[in-house]
Amino acid sequence: MADYSIVAEDLTYWYGDLVAVDHISFHVADREILGFLGPNGAGKTTAWKMLTGQLKPKGGRATVLGRDIARDSQKVQGEIGVCFEYTNLYDQMSASENLRLFARLFGVTRFDDDALLRRVGLEGWGKHRVEEFSKGMKQRLMVARSLVNRPKILFLDEPTSGLDPVSAEAIRTVILEERERGATVFLTTHDMMEADKLSDRVAFINQGKIVALDTPHNLKQTYGKRALKAEVVADSGLEYVEIPLDMADTPDAVHDLFSQKKVVTIHSEEATLEDIFIQITGRGLQV
Amino acid sequence: MNWRSIGALVSKDFALFFRNRFFAVITVLALVMFAAIYFVMPDSVDETLEIGLYAPLVPPALELMQEAERGLEIEEVESEEALKEGVTEGRYEAGLVFPADIMEKLGLNQPPEIKVYFASDMPDEIREVVNVLVTEMAYLQTGQTLNIDWQPEILGLDMAGAQIPQRDRMRSLFAVFVLMTETFGLAGLISEEVERRTAWALLVTPMTVKDLFTAKGILGTLLAFSQVLLLLAVVGGMNAQPLIIVTALLLGAVLVTGVAFLIASLGKDFLSVTAWGVPALVILSIPAVGIMIPGAVSDWIKAIPSYYLTDTIYQVSNFGAGWGDIWRNLLILAGFNVVILSAGILVLRRKFQ
Repeated sequence: MADYSIVAEDLTYWYGDLVAVDHISFHVADREILGFLGPNGAGKTTAWKMLTGQLKPKGGRATVLGRDIARDSQKVQGEIGVCFEYTNLYDQMSASENLRLFARLFGVTRFDDDALLRRVGLEGWGKHRVEEFSKGMKQRLMVARSLVNRPKILFLDEPTSGLDPVSAEAIRTVILEERERGATVFLTTHDMMEADKLSDRVAFINQGKIVALDTPHNLKQTYGKRALKAEVVADSGLEYVEIPLDMADTPDAVHDLFSQKKVVTIHSEEATLEDIFIQITGRGLQV
Repeated sequence: MNWRSIGALVSKDFALFFRNRFFAVITVLALVMFAAIYFVMPDSVDETLEIGLYAPLVPPALELMQEAERGLEIEEVESEEALKEGVTEGRYEAGLVFPADIMEKLGLNQPPEIKVYFASDMPDEIREVVNVLVTEMAYLQTGQTLNIDWQPEILGLDMAGAQIPQRDRMRSLFAVFVLMTETFGLAGLISEEVERRTAWALLVTPMTVKDLFTAKGILGTLLAFSQVLLLLAVVGGMNAQPLIIVTALLLGAVLVTGVAFLIASLGKDFLSVTAWGVPALVILSIPAVGIMIPGAVSDWIKAIPSYYLTDTIYQVSNFGAGWGDIWRNLLILAGFNVVILSAGILVLRRKFQ
C-alpha cells in the first residue's frame, strides 16, 4: 500500500436519485500519471472532487497519501495541488499576487513566483492583473497555482479543455516535468489524445463505473484492431482496401494487393482510445 | 483554527475591497458626506416662536408678554397683505390681525374679532400655542387672571432652551448608514467569491470553511467598526463615555457582519446583493429615523436589532448616559448578534458545501 499515492475502494457518490460514481475501485502508484477518461457527465469530476476532499464520499473510502480523505482532508490538502476545469483566479490581483496568496495559504515561506511563471510560459506577466489575461494564460496560471506547494499529487481536471495548441502543450510539458520531479498525477479529461500522450495508465469511466483500466498500449492490444489501409486505383476511380493484420492469410493478401492493384498510398492503422471506448461502452467520448 | 490562512485571506480581501472602485468610492464618500451634512446642519435649535402682527393699536399687554415670555418674538407689519405674505413665505409661524377697537372692546368686556393666519402646513400644536397666547393676552389686558395654581414639573432633564440639534439626533442614523455601507461591501466580496468560484480554490488548501468564515467576519467587523468609529469621532459622538460608544459600535459592526452573511447567502451577484441589501438598510434605519422624528414610531421598533445600537448612541452622546443606563441595550444587542451571525453562517455555509 505504501507505493500507492491514491487508493479508492468502492467509492460511491450520488446526487438525489442520480448515482454519479458507482462503487469504483482503483489505485494510483507513486509517480504515475493516471488518465481518468470519460464523456461529460460520466462521473470523472465527482470522483476528482471526492479525492481532493471537496466532496465527502457517500459510500466506500479513499486514501490519499496514506490518509483517509474524508477524515483527514485538511492534512491531505496541504500536500496536493488542485487545478480546476473552470477559471477561479482573483481577476483584480496580479499573477504574482495570486500565486503568493496561495503560497501563504500553504505556509510556503521561500517562494519564487517568477520561476513558477517562467515554467508555465508567463514570464514577464507577474505584475499584470489577471483580468488582462487570455483564457490560455489564465489556465496556465491555474496550473502554476497548483504547483506553489510542490505537491506530492497533482489533481488536474480537464486542464487543457478549450485551449489553443501552444497553451495546451505548455501545460502537458509541465505535467510531464512534475512526474519527473516525483509527483503523482491524477488527470481527468475527455481528450483521448491527451490521455494517450500523457498517461501511464488510463481508466475509462462511464455512467459512474470504471469499465476499463490499463495502459494505453494494453488497451489497444486488447480491444484494438490492427490493419493496413491502402488507397488503390480502380475503374471507377480511387477506392480503399483494408487488410487486417495478425491473420493467417495476411501475407497473401498483401502480396495480392501489390501484384493486382496500383497502390497510391498505404499505412498501418491502429485503434485510438476513442475507438476502444466506443467499443466498450457503445458511446463516444464527446457525448 | 488556521490563523496563517485567516491572516492571508483578510489581507487579500482588504486589498480587493479597496481595489473595487465602487466600494472604495462609496466608503470614502459616505464618510465625507455624512460628516459634511453634520457640520452643515445648525448646531442649535431655534425655539423662538415668531409671530407677525398687524394692529393699528397694539395692546400694552402684548408688549408686556413679549418682554416677559422667553422665546416669543412679535414683529409688527404695515398691512394685512404684508402679514399674509410673511405667513405664506414662512417668516412667521402665525399672523395676528388686531382690530382698531380692540382696547375698547376689551374694556367693555366684549369679544374683539382677532384674525389669525396660519400657513396651510402649520401643525395643530402651533395653532394651539397661538390660541393660548391670544387668550392670555386678553386676560392680561383686562386684568382677569386664570385662577390656576401653576406648578410645572419637568420629567428628566429640562431641555427648554437647550434642545438637541437635529444633527446630533442624526448621529445614530449616520452610524447605521456607514455600517450598512460596509455590509454591502462584505456581502459583495463573499458573493463574488462564490460566483467566481474562488472559494473552492481556497478550500482545497489547508483552509477550512470555518477559517473562511472567520476571515470574512474579521474583515467585515474591522471595516465597519473602523469607519463608524472614525465618523462618530469626527461628529462628536465620542465626547461622552467613549468606552460605551466603542463597545456599542463594535457590537453594531458584528451585527452588520451577520447581516452581510445573510445577504451574501441570498445574493448571487452584486446586483442581487444590492437588491437584498436595500430592504435590510431600510429596516435597520427605522429606529434611527424614529430618534430624529420623536413620536413617528412606537414600541414595535424594539424588535429591530439596530434599535439597541441607535438608542445607545443617542442616549450616551446626547444625554451622557452611563453603563448603568444602557447595559440592557448592549446585552440585547449582543444577543441579537449571536442569533443573526449564527443564522448568517448557517445559511451561507450551505453555499460552500
